Amino acid sequence: MTDRNKVAASQDLAHRRAARRPGLVHEVLPPEGVPIRLEIAGLGARVGAQITDLLVSGLAMIAALVLLALTGAGEATVAVGALLFFAIRTPYYIASELLWNGQTLGKRMNGLRVVAADGRGLTAHAVVVRNLMKEVEVFTPGTWLLVGGGDLWSSLLVLTWIAVLVAVARGNRRRQRIGDMIAGTLVIRQPQAALLPDLTAGRAPVSDRFVFDAGQLDHYGRYELQTLEQVLQTESRGSAGTAGQRRANLEAIARTIRGKIGYRDALSDSDAPAFLRAFYAAQRAYLERRQLFGETREDKFHRDDAG
Amino acid sequence: MSVDITAAADSELLRSTRFRRAREADWRRLEAILAVAERRGVRALDFEQARDLATLYRQACTALSVAREISLDRALLDYLEALTARAYLAVYAPQETLAGVLGRFLATAPAAVRRSAGHVALAALAMALGALAGALLYGEDASWFRVFVPGGLGGGRGPASTTAELLEVIYGGAEQPVGRLGAFAAYLFSHNTQIALFSFALGVFLCLPSFLLCLYNGLILGAFVALHAERGIAWDLFGWLSIHGVTELAAIVVATGGGFRLGAAVLFPGRLTRRDALRRHGRDAVKLGLVAACMLVAAALIEGFARQLVTDTTARLAIGWGIGGLWLAWFALGGRGTPTSVKSQ
Repeated sequence: MTDRNKVAASQDLAHRRAARRPGLVHEVLPPEGVPIRLEIAGLGARVGAQITDLLVSGLAMIAALVLLALTGAGEATVAVGALLFFAIRTPYYIASELLWNGQTLGKRMNGLRVVAADGRGLTAHAVVVRNLMKEVEVFTPGTWLLVGGGDLWSSLLVLTWIAVLVAVARGNRRRQRIGDMIAGTLVIRQPQAALLPDLTAGRAPVSDRFVFDAGQLDHYGRYELQTLEQVLQTESRGSAGTAGQRRANLEAIARTIRGKIGYRDALSDSDAPAFLRAFYAAQRAYLERRQLFGETREDKFHRDDAG
Repeated sequence: MSVDITAAADSELLRSTRFRRAREADWRRLEAILAVAERRGVRALDFEQARDLATLYRQACTALSVAREISLDRALLDYLEALTARAYLAVYAPQETLAGVLGRFLATAPAAVRRSAGHVALAALAMALGALAGALLYGEDASWFRVFVPGGLGGGRGPASTTAELLEVIYGGAEQPVGRLGAFAAYLFSHNTQIALFSFALGVFLCLPSFLLCLYNGLILGAFVALHAERGIAWDLFGWLSIHGVTELAAIVVATGGGFRLGAAVLFPGRLTRRDALRRHGRDAVKLGLVAACMLVAAALIEGFARQLVTDTTARLAIGWGIGGLWLAWFALGGRGTPTSVKSQ
């Protein structure tokens, strides 16, 4: 492979990796001194949560009013309705985000959460600010979109305002709307922790059947190792594709790896999963040992070695 | 997890696998505690769980930091990242109660108003200016009334109305088509609430929108007063306006003052960056906004109940200005005794 090809390939890889990354990441440094990575929520999910909130609070209000009307409260229904209509706007969001640690009902259902950008706890002030601004940023244009009307100029004004809001939220790395910026908050995806099994800690050690020497383990890096791990995890959980597809996939991978590392022993296709597991264990042991000595290897292009 | 692994086999395992095996039980326990804390809040934890949450969180932080160095096991890394983040969010969750937040607001809001006295005075000046201009313009040409006052707001009143019609609106409480509670309902979302809201929030844009809105509100007021003064019923209107208008107009002025604080932070950030200045002044400005919201709700209550019940001008004046005096007393005297640590919140 020529140098130019190598550079092009590595750039291509970087592109694909960026595309694979699930979302933007916000790093906070809590007092414990270990940076914690939080995944920033996309605007689509946030709009979804907002709509859920509107539906839930609207339905709750209507239910309460119907109950009141049925009990024959008469004129009081109107007053209570007015109060409720007032309460399901800003006060509902302030109270719920404050009491439920940055989650409204809609955010809870959509797995979102508001956090302070500086890594400290959410303050009452921040919650109040971001939800007061919601009145101007969400409810006013939202009402206009639903009801419509108004003359040409006010329509243009509102549309410009909406364009500005979207541009601001899209345009910054933390996906903050204006209220978030003033309050110093951002919306993250609630982290989901699921511990998958350790592939090297399986039943009996399979390393006796397949033996790899240092030269054979010197080809791949962290990226390839973790990609292989992902494939094997999918295989053991049986989550993607049909069994036949996964099987063919594993066999193809095993063939490629054999070719690349120059593994000479005979290998039947039925051995592919065992071979890959053994290779994974050996490769990880090799790379982790190297990493302990400060030699990290990012991928098969060995860019970390050169630099 | 299988436990029948001999010590010999154990030493053959990868360092990162042994690392994981030694701590996995703790992580599971942390996960279980977090499940409770996330569903029902940290308050729902019992003593042992709360104590363990803190310890296990710190252990998970350390484990994450070590794992990032020694392990290439993606399953482990992803899990620890998520677990630590969840624990962090649970440990540093705001421990607030509604009563506590409200109490703190009541204690600190007057001080915020006092600190913003200049901005509030400026807002009052803008409205007074508008009122003066409105009255003078109406004096020149009555058709200005139509320009200033939007159709729905005057309740059908205008230069074409007879004096009797005007008086009827002022005193004819009982014959209102909507009941008094209905009036309250309609009021909450009326024109003035929107003016207050916008003049607060749009203050960010260099104070200008707030100033214009306040001025515009003054223009309406001026034209209204001039219309009634022309018919010689200014005193009656004064009583009609006073009973809730003192609170309501003061709310608009306070909200605009809050908007001015925001705009001033953008215009004159001093030695801070604009973003930081906005954040700092935002603390007071938001309190002004909330005070204005409280005043508007109070005005709505007065509008709904008192205006139609009390039709005597003197009584209207007494109630309106009495409540206004109470607001002023709260702003001037409230929260004086609180310790500085609370004040700086």
